Amino acid sequence: MRVPQMAEAVEREIFLRRRWARWQFVLASFLGAAVLSLMLNVSLGSVHIPFSDLWKIIFGKEAGRGIFGAVIWNIRLPRALAASLSGSALAAGGLLLQNFFRNPIVGPYVLGISSGATVMVALALLGGYSLGMTSIHPAFLSLAALIGALGVMMVILAVAAKVRDIVSLLVIGLMVGYIASAISSFLIAFAEKEEVHKFVLWTLGSFSGFRWKEVRVLAAAIPLLVFLSFFLSKPLNAFLLGEDYARTIGVRVKAFRYLIILITSALVGLVTAFTGPVAFIGLAVPHMARLSLGTSDSRVLLPGAAILGAAVTGLCDLLARTAFSPVEIPVSATTSLFGAPIVIALLLRRRAAI
Amino acid sequence: MMVRTEELEVGYGRRSVVRDVNLELSRGQFIGLLGPNGCGKSTILKTLIRLLAPLRGAVFLDGRELERISRKELSRRVSAVLTEQPSPGLLTAFDVAAMGRYPYTGRLGRIEGEHIRKTWEALKMVGAADLAGRYFHELSDGEKQKVLLARALAQEPELVVLDEPTSHLDPRYRLEVMLILRRLVREKGLTIIASLHEIDLAMKACDTVVLIKGGRIIACGPPEEILKEETAAELYDFRRARFSSLLGGVELGEESGGSIFIVAGSGSGARLYRALTKHGFGISTGILPENDVDFHIAQALRIDIVAEKPYNGISEEACLRALQEVRRASQVVDAGFPVGEANCRNVELIREALRMGKVTYSLRKEEEGEGLWGPLAPRLVYCEGLSSLLRRLREVECLRREG
Repeated sequence: MRVPQMAEAVEREIFLRRRWARWQFVLASFLGAAVLSLMLNVSLGSVHIPFSDLWKIIFGKEAGRGIFGAVIWNIRLPRALAASLSGSALAAGGLLLQNFFRNPIVGPYVLGISSGATVMVALALLGGYSLGMTSIHPAFLSLAALIGALGVMMVILAVAAKVRDIVSLLVIGLMVGYIASAISSFLIAFAEKEEVHKFVLWTLGSFSGFRWKEVRVLAAAIPLLVFLSFFLSKPLNAFLLGEDYARTIGVRVKAFRYLIILITSALVGLVTAFTGPVAFIGLAVPHMARLSLGTSDSRVLLPGAAILGAAVTGLCDLLARTAFSPVEIPVSATTSLFGAPIVIALLLRRRAAI
Repeated sequence: MMVRTEELEVGYGRRSVVRDVNLELSRGQFIGLLGPNGCGKSTILKTLIRLLAPLRGAVFLDGRELERISRKELSRRVSAVLTEQPSPGLLTAFDVAAMGRYPYTGRLGRIEGEHIRKTWEALKMVGAADLAGRYFHELSDGEKQKVLLARALAQEPELVVLDEPTSHLDPRYRLEVMLILRRLVREKGLTIIASLHEIDLAMKACDTVVLIKGGRIIACGPPEEILKEETAAELYDFRRARFSSLLGGVELGEESGGSIFIVAGSGSGARLYRALTKHGFGISTGILPENDVDFHIAQALRIDIVAEKPYNGISEEACLRALQEVRRASQVVDAGFPVGEANCRNVELIREALRMGKVTYSLRKEEEGEGLWGPLAPRLVYCEGLSSLLRRLREVECLRREG
């Protein structure tokens, strides 16, 4: 009797261990891709800087000196870091909401957070002119976007306290989005052509012109928020079974609901404030990570999505920046154009349900 | 007493679904909730696991009011299998079952050591250990149900609440799930409360059944006592179908006068009765002692029966009644009953039918017929099986209708 029992115990250990090994391997690959994308971003551009010089310029004695130093320190490094951080934030935010709503086509923008930001930016860019503002400082735009995002978040939180089921929350988020885009359209109709162009470009997102001051904000907040959401893994996993099951195994649903809304709003609001809405990352990267890891377990998937988000966003920004240089195409265009086929291919290959 | 409800009223928001629920359910029992769709079975169950707040009254678990027990404690004592089947994305059956460890795991919900062992035990208990490594979404409905049951067990509860655990399962899994539940009650001393749709299953598996209809509990007690023909008919508004408490099953009867008379007994008639009623033939049968299995099935199917008191053989009087039925019938069927001293008059009955020139079918072998009816035997129409009999009956019926 003892022998088969031991064999069984060994077998189940193997099943769990093999899985863990696979996860470690995939996570390591993601990390490698993220580092590679960061290096490429710093190295490639109108001035090509070989990898061999990177180390010296960034960490060496001569750090920040010379033309290369200036290009890297003032332009490429902050931009590359911002792209990576924003990518992590969007991917993590998207994953949190996909889990929370148990819906695979949900992205980080469904709560209407970015719509709120967009309306405020539209007011600033399009309405500011009629109010007699001649030039608009980029920091003012970020502030406007942040205020918009926070405003919507308040509304969603208030609603979340009232509605019983989560789907209503999803629909309300969508409705807020429609209202916001209606207001934007209204403003566009009365705005000058030039302002409209600026506004449209903003809504497509861009990482250009990032400065260290802004990067520091992202670098302080985003890792912290991702870390916090990692500690929600347990209830997040429980939510995979649906809200009712989650309740019966002891998840405090109301509190969890608030936390999810707060964290995703903060993640998405921050990114949107500095870059505008970057399409697709938050929707697609969680799928890419989930399908590569072969699990929906948030304890693995959440770090995975955050790291992969950094890698993918970095590469997309590189493409946006260099493909048609000197013209820079909006980053949302590259993310969607190259990301969507990847998701489709992964789905077809694995015949997996999301 | 494990679960007690006091003047409980359950429902959604302001809409009351069931009122005056006063139940006292004891430990270590399998309790079944029966009633038509929409009668409030699920609503009661959801209130018992605190997914819904009671509109009035209260639920007590071991004497403590449910609302006063913390979520955490409750989740360690009560687990549930709900109607909605979750679609948890890329989680394996093991992951899903391990979710039952939620109330016991640490902050990150790591499944290790003891949690792995207990999850595996739960999977084995329901015979789902071989499914562990497969993705939940790839499993069949029945397998999913077993995994969800394992999840509920991994929670190490005292009470498991199951909302329609057997709907959308095929008969094999339905039985398997019920057997597992039964075993859990017997071996583990668990208390199980489940809403069920099959009266026959409830009859056979439950220690206590609760009948719910029209927003009220209409009966509660051991199924043997309260699941009678009339209660079942009342519960589900059966008109055509009938529940037989002795057979523990539901039969789809049609009320009809007989134009086909079936001579049967000892179970030889059961399949015939069902097949012929299903195809809409009007039938009557005899001569059956009242303890014969054919008698009970025929009764559940609402077939006219020429019956006889048991253990006394067949009386002259019953024979006359049967002869009258044969005379009225357009066709006669010999179901191929085993012949013995007590029912030799049934053999006589067929002989009479043949003498009268009735078209008579037999499901016996020709040689056997010869032995029983001698020179009259060739007049019988021998059928190899049920389907050929049905075909012949239908042909004659058509001719009769036309001519």
